[in-house]
Amino acid sequence: MRGTGLQLPRATIGVSRWRRFRAAVDWPLILTIVAICTIGLFNLYSAVHDSKHQVKFDSQVQWMLVGVIAFAVATIVDYRAMVRLAWVGLGIAAALIVLARLQGATGHDDRHGSTYRWLFIGGFGIQPSELVKVMMILVLARMFQDTETSSRYEPRALALRLIVIAVPIGLIAVQPDLGTATLLILIVLTTGFLAMPNVWPVVHVTLAGLLAIPLVWESMHEYQQNRILGFIDCNLAPDKGSCWHTQQSIFAVGSGKIWGKGYLGGTQNQFNFVPEHWTDFPYSVWAEEWGFAGSVLLLAIFAFLLVWIINVALSARDRVGAVICVGVAAMTFWHVVVNVAMVLGVAPVVGVTLPFVSYGGSSLVTFFIAMGLVANVSLRKHGY
Amino acid sequence: MLLRSSSGPGSGNGPSLPELHRRLKWVALVVLLAFGFLVGRLWQLQVMRGDSYYERTVSNVVKERYLPSVRGKILDAKGVPLADNRPAFNIYATPKQMTDATRIELSRMLGLSDDELAKLDERLAVGKKRDPRSPVLILEDQGRDRAALVEQSLTKLPGVEVHHEPYRFYPQGDLAAHLIGYMTQMTAAEADRLGNQGYDPSELVGRYGLESAWENYLRGKKGKELYAVDARGQRLDEKTAATLIAGERTTAAVPGANLVVTVDVELQKIAEKAVSHVAAAAVVIVEPRTGKIRALVSKPSFDPNVMTGHLTRAEETLLLSDPRKPFIDKALRATYPPGSVFKFVTALAALEDGQGAEDESIFCTGQYQLSKTTFKCNGSHGKLDLVGAIQHSCNVYFWELAQRIGLDRMAEEARMFGFGAPTNLGLNGDAGGRIPTKAWYEKDSRYKVGFATNAATGQGDVEVTVLQMAMAYAALANGGTLWVPQIVDRIEGSDGRPIKTYEPAVARRVKLSADSLDTWRRGMWKVTNERGGTAFDHGTFDLVPVMGKTGTAEIRTKKRKEEDERDVEGYHPTRSHAWFAGWAPAEDPDIAIVVFVEHGGSGGRVAWPIAQQILDGYFTKIKGMPRPASDDVRVPNARGKVLKR
Repeated sequence: MRGTGLQLPRATIGVSRWRRFRAAVDWPLILTIVAICTIGLFNLYSAVHDSKHQVKFDSQVQWMLVGVIAFAVATIVDYRAMVRLAWVGLGIAAALIVLARLQGATGHDDRHGSTYRWLFIGGFGIQPSELVKVMMILVLARMFQDTETSSRYEPRALALRLIVIAVPIGLIAVQPDLGTATLLILIVLTTGFLAMPNVWPVVHVTLAGLLAIPLVWESMHEYQQNRILGFIDCNLAPDKGSCWHTQQSIFAVGSGKIWGKGYLGGTQNQFNFVPEHWTDFPYSVWAEEWGFAGSVLLLAIFAFLLVWIINVALSARDRVGAVICVGVAAMTFWHVVVNVAMVLGVAPVVGVTLPFVSYGGSSLVTFFIAMGLVANVSLRKHGY
Repeated sequence: MLLRSSSGPGSGNGPSLPELHRRLKWVALVVLLAFGFLVGRLWQLQVMRGDSYYERTVSNVVKERYLPSVRGKILDAKGVPLADNRPAFNIYATPKQMTDATRIELSRMLGLSDDELAKLDERLAVGKKRDPRSPVLILEDQGRDRAALVEQSLTKLPGVEVHHEPYRFYPQGDLAAHLIGYMTQMTAAEADRLGNQGYDPSELVGRYGLESAWENYLRGKKGKELYAVDARGQRLDEKTAATLIAGERTTAAVPGANLVVTVDVELQKIAEKAVSHVAAAAVVIVEPRTGKIRALVSKPSFDPNVMTGHLTRAEETLLLSDPRKPFIDKALRATYPPGSVFKFVTALAALEDGQGAEDESIFCTGQYQLSKTTFKCNGSHGKLDLVGAIQHSCNVYFWELAQRIGLDRMAEEARMFGFGAPTNLGLNGDAGGRIPTKAWYEKDSRYKVGFATNAATGQGDVEVTVLQMAMAYAALANGGTLWVPQIVDRIEGSDGRPIKTYEPAVARRVKLSADSLDTWRRGMWKVTNERGGTAFDHGTFDLVPVMGKTGTAEIRTKKRKEEDERDVEGYHPTRSHAWFAGWAPAEDPDIAIVVFVEHGGSGGRVAWPIAQQILDGYFTKIKGMPRPASDDVRVPNARGKVLKR
């Protein structure tokens, strides 16, 4: 196993490698993911059954199989090898974004920029911005791999890396996909807060970012401004559409009351009052049909997942592994919090998915890879 | 704690990421706060406000539709319908589902005209603005053929529906229109007020006549249908609806009650035909035995079918600019000076008080001097007793009586006969009129003796309604019983089962000696039956004995023509009003009749021939009396000229 860097627990003579591998695998992590995926599939079935969107269920199952393979690969290949190539990976991801832009610019018309988000390869559409998230986590691990004495933490070195990191984020922001861009910034900042030996530069960057918000506002597209205005006050937005989505979503969640309307019984969902409920609003489907009990249960499972990832981070064999876990935890945390807050009407409607529950291949595979990285770190913690 | 302390870093060199260990409590705090906040929000939405949101989602899916109730009919005394219902086919469309393709298909299928298409588009646009998910009426009152065409191809026309709805229909056209009334759309204020009484804003509501006054009986109770829709407003199938809606989904409508009125359509037709040659008139025919109204005419009329349906702007302007005010009921609502038909009040008051006697003669020189004013009589009648004064309608005689008894005594007598107060018919703003007294004059200025002189002959400030006059003459005919006029005989359920029957109601037994009444009646007899009678000279009625009194009420002030009024042929607002009041047969009469022609001129020349024609129709057509075949029977024509046949 030397080639892969895989270190298995020193075990009794006579125990097979397979059994030793099985013992080292992070089963609680896998079971948690399986639980969330099961809920996600059940929920998706409820959201799309008996409608023209029914094919989405089959498509999601297929993507899940792809995701499982991606998980396995991300678990088995030594994460340290991946981290060594992190900058290259981020560069490739950034290039794909540019490619998607060019493809979109020559091909389709600009419907709120949504076509620019997609890269079509042989009939499949993938969102390169999702890939950027994983690569960003690896880059962060590489950035913070040394202890505090390293010259990497000197202001100039940090500034340089920050600028390089900002490039793909900027590319995503001008796609325009402000949701993903914001999420990337949150991942970077959160990881910085938890992994930087000296936390103050991160604080400064955060404050600077907050001051820059008016500038960002100015450069935003009108529909983006409307969404945020609509979130603040429904009457402010000239376009009531997004407002209506949020309103119907709140009705759906609230109407679930304590025990929910029962599986397949959510009228808001079944009769399409919450638009696109399979991608951005699956939590409203879940909350309507399973009530407060089910809603809290799903949140609890996500909370357990987070705690577990942090746990892996704490027990990682090296700094790189720990930072990877911190990055994945940050990504999961923000995805869950922003998505649920959006469904509950306490955050503006931005295209942020709910991990393993939202419909969509790119998001699903990305989270499988991210969780694979955590499993990877977990698997290798027994080595010396 | 879930964090595994046992599986800490594998080496003893300390944690691999010490920063995380140091900041772990911050991680815990932020995660706890964020998830705590989300759970708190869930608690707020699902537990605290859950019930109200649940209601909201139900109202998202469950829509309700009114099932119209069939309005009660209005039937005449013999069951002939005055107001009925007919089925109308209305085509509705849901704006959200109405695509261009559907619109083109519908237009092609029905061969819609450009006008119809334009109207359809307009209605769709309005509906889209209001609520794109609820159906709007796009084609109203379509023929059976069109409805069938659409119903056969509903699958090709998503969002299109055909509803069969009962429409109000008045088979008699403009006959008795003021009595029947009409219906119109509610005003916004009414819609607000009636909304919680179960009215739908699109509904019609009784606006005039019986339709308005008896609305509560006629309208019945609307039914309700609950159905389920998806987000696009598409109606869901019955099975799905059953799972979503608990309990009964349809409540059947309760049809309204039928109103059987005392009016006889045949007599009404005879009466309306008799006034067809005059511009504005009113006729009231009542039964002196019961106080039931047998015919109630106000001319000019209107067609309630037009009023209830779609009155065009042009038609509306024409009606509103009519100086005859077609919408004011001339029998019940408008008040007029009665002229000489009012003289019975003066005569009876004087006789009852002993201030006059049948055989007392007074000499009429043609004028009457009162201090500095000279009142002119309608002729120089010479020496007349009271009966002669009635026969000739000599004003001087009554002016003299008025001087003896005074204004207030006359007013008292008039009020006894129901003048000065509404008759309680409860229809079309049934007016009270005006009976002046000394006190009334002194309120504004000084009382003058001339006021009593005027009132004695039904002039000056005396104003009455035609219905009041009819009820008073009915009382004279039956010996002093003043009835509350009755127009509704009974209410029946839609299946004909009786709900309520109204009995004749007495307003008052007028204190009257038989002698006084006989004196007055002798005068009335001479009016229609003896040479010199104000009616006799304009024709006689020979089929049955009849008695009556004519009146020619002078117009005190020339009414100024309003700006928006147009001229109407045969209507001369400066002329006197023509009255005739009487009954037939003379003894134990079947009917009392009052004919009033607004600005018609002389009562004897104009109103009496109309009364003759109505009486002729009544006794030959309704009572079936044979008309004497002999040549010397004089049949009056419409103009009142006597013709030999």
